[in-house]
Amino acid sequence: MEQSVRDEILTKLKAAPKAAFPARPHLPPYKTLSMDREQLIAEFITRLTEEAVVVHRAKDFPEALEKLTVVALEEGLKKVMATADDVVLRLDLPAWGKKNDIQIMTPRDFPDRESYRDAVFDQAQAGITGVDFAVAESATIGLIHNQDQARLVSLAPILHIAIVPVDRLVPVYEQVIEKVFGNKKQCPSQFVFISGPSMTGDIQGVLFKGMHGPRKVIVILVG
Amino acid sequence: MEIKTEQFTELAKKELKNDRQRLFLKLIPPVMRMKREAGFSTLPDAPAAMACGAAIRAEAMARLPELLEEFEKNATANGMKVVWARDDKEANEFIRNLAKEKGIQYVTKGKSMVTEETALNEVLEEQGIEVWETDLGEFIAQQLHRTPFHIVGPAINVPVEEVRDLFIEKIGLKEPTLDPVKLGYAARLFLRDKFHHVKMGITGVNMAVAETGTIINVENEGNIRFTKASPPIQVSVMSLEKVIPTMKDALHMVRLLCRSCTGQRLSVYVSMDSGPKKKDEIDGPEELYIVIVDNGRSKIYQDVKAREVLRCIRCGACLAGCPVWRQIGGYAYGWAYSGPMGQVLNPMLLGLDKTQELYRASTLCGACKSICPVGIDHPSLFLYYRSKDVLEDPNFKSKERPWAERQFFRIWSFAASTPWLWNLGVRMARPFINKDARDGIISKAIGPSEGWFRNRDLPSMAGFTFHDRWKKIQNTESRGQKSE
Repeated sequence: MEQSVRDEILTKLKAAPKAAFPARPHLPPYKTLSMDREQLIAEFITRLTEEAVVVHRAKDFPEALEKLTVVALEEGLKKVMATADDVVLRLDLPAWGKKNDIQIMTPRDFPDRESYRDAVFDQAQAGITGVDFAVAESATIGLIHNQDQARLVSLAPILHIAIVPVDRLVPVYEQVIEKVFGNKKQCPSQFVFISGPSMTGDIQGVLFKGMHGPRKVIVILVG
Repeated sequence: MEIKTEQFTELAKKELKNDRQRLFLKLIPPVMRMKREAGFSTLPDAPAAMACGAAIRAEAMARLPELLEEFEKNATANGMKVVWARDDKEANEFIRNLAKEKGIQYVTKGKSMVTEETALNEVLEEQGIEVWETDLGEFIAQQLHRTPFHIVGPAINVPVEEVRDLFIEKIGLKEPTLDPVKLGYAARLFLRDKFHHVKMGITGVNMAVAETGTIINVENEGNIRFTKASPPIQVSVMSLEKVIPTMKDALHMVRLLCRSCTGQRLSVYVSMDSGPKKKDEIDGPEELYIVIVDNGRSKIYQDVKAREVLRCIRCGACLAGCPVWRQIGGYAYGWAYSGPMGQVLNPMLLGLDKTQELYRASTLCGACKSICPVGIDHPSLFLYYRSKDVLEDPNFKSKERPWAERQFFRIWSFAASTPWLWNLGVRMARPFINKDARDGIISKAIGPSEGWFRNRDLPSMAGFTFHDRWKKIQNTESRGQKSE
């Protein structure tokens, strides 16, 4: 029966008169495309700051860990959920947690969705993730969701700490899209662009952060 | 929800009496417009970007059947289950049966205009399945049983006092407050519990990319991400015109959508699903259903001019830009879609007979057209609908005009195409038309054209026609030349 509904709709659409459509106009390139690396980083930091994202910059991963320690102290973190992506793995968070008396959970510690949801909704004071991309066009980080990058870690806790290696920063979205969706047989189940903390203006147009997702996003730029 | 598009005039009059709302409508649209303009100024060439948006959507519509097939093929290859529905009933039935079969007690929903159109919530609730709208504005509108006031801020007009009382009653707000931030936080805590345990999530779709079989959702709050990530079953409902050829096109449209909507460079979350979760992923949907809803669109598609309305990406810019919406707000339009967007869409979805006032309640000023990021020419569509209506086109469900009006125009058209009759008429009509003129202005008439003068004036007609004056001048001049 489904098949016939589909065919019926498509047949109807195909029988309709054909129409011409205009050619795409030429679009000038975005200004971030002509920036050198340091300019690009400065632009990205400006955009992040505009969106109320707190930015720390570290020259390498050991320094990033030091920044993370300061953040953990300021935010009073005792229990956090971290993903197991390639960026986070380089930080060796289990060792860092032991040293700083912070319990590190990862989605893999949980046998099923239910227990994982309990932890990420009710116990994690923060979610720590790496990123696959950052885009200087706006205050945007890009995360490919897969077995190492669970979706709720950057969403459910009230604080999201994103570790951003500067070599993953690109000028415009198109470069990200090409890499993530270039081979249509290998598209990730979900890909997300995040630009700042969750927000709303739905009551009388008053803007506030932390509607459903994180109220605060901290970016540690590495490199 | 009851469709009230036939009561437009009545409802508009009522809305005009709401002083608080009118003050709000004076204050907010200029801010929205400023934000929108600031957003567009960050593009290297905003007019070209908008022209490109129009070209992408025009192409998507021209290639609609082919793109839908491509989308379906790729989405299915990625493991999504694509379901087609002829109308609201079929779409709702599929979702209701799925929910029943899976033993679902409640669902969380991301804001979705098409399920607003199909009234899905009522159908689920009849089955005893609780529905929680989770976009803050939509949550408030749902609890108040109202249609969206604005497509982006569905309850943005609701006074804080009303939100406070609502939250005390419905979600057990413990410390009454008038602080929008605290009220929002109370809603966060309440809905968080729903997200935590939800087993089925329902969302809309901003774009469906044919090239990769990907659906894209654009939002600021995170409720759509929760609705897609937390439960094991995801149902995303799209009207069939949402399809876009390529990912690159989609990203360009996202740039335009965010700027047009809220002035942002990018909304906080843009999430793109290309299939259910993989086996070793702990969150995300195990089953992902895409419901493609026609509900009258394949019929609109048959008319090349009317098809233009299917380009709409629901950014809502035309609402705050419209001098009519800025007076009456969104409720008077009587259905899910309000403002110029609703005025071009509702007549096609509901029929010209049920929306008589909608395509006439416009000054044809063209503000909507000038800010539309996909190049919809609203004023020309209003004129098109008006002509289809009076010409009684059965495909558009037009309503018969009053007998007197039809006779008048029959005579008019005969006279206008018969020169001697016309010349006689324009000479004879003058004293009759001018009899009510005061200081060169006609502001009232008695008889069938009385209503026309309710809020309009006409300058009185000159005593002589142009031809008569011209003859007279030439006569005088030729006499003058002779006397020289």
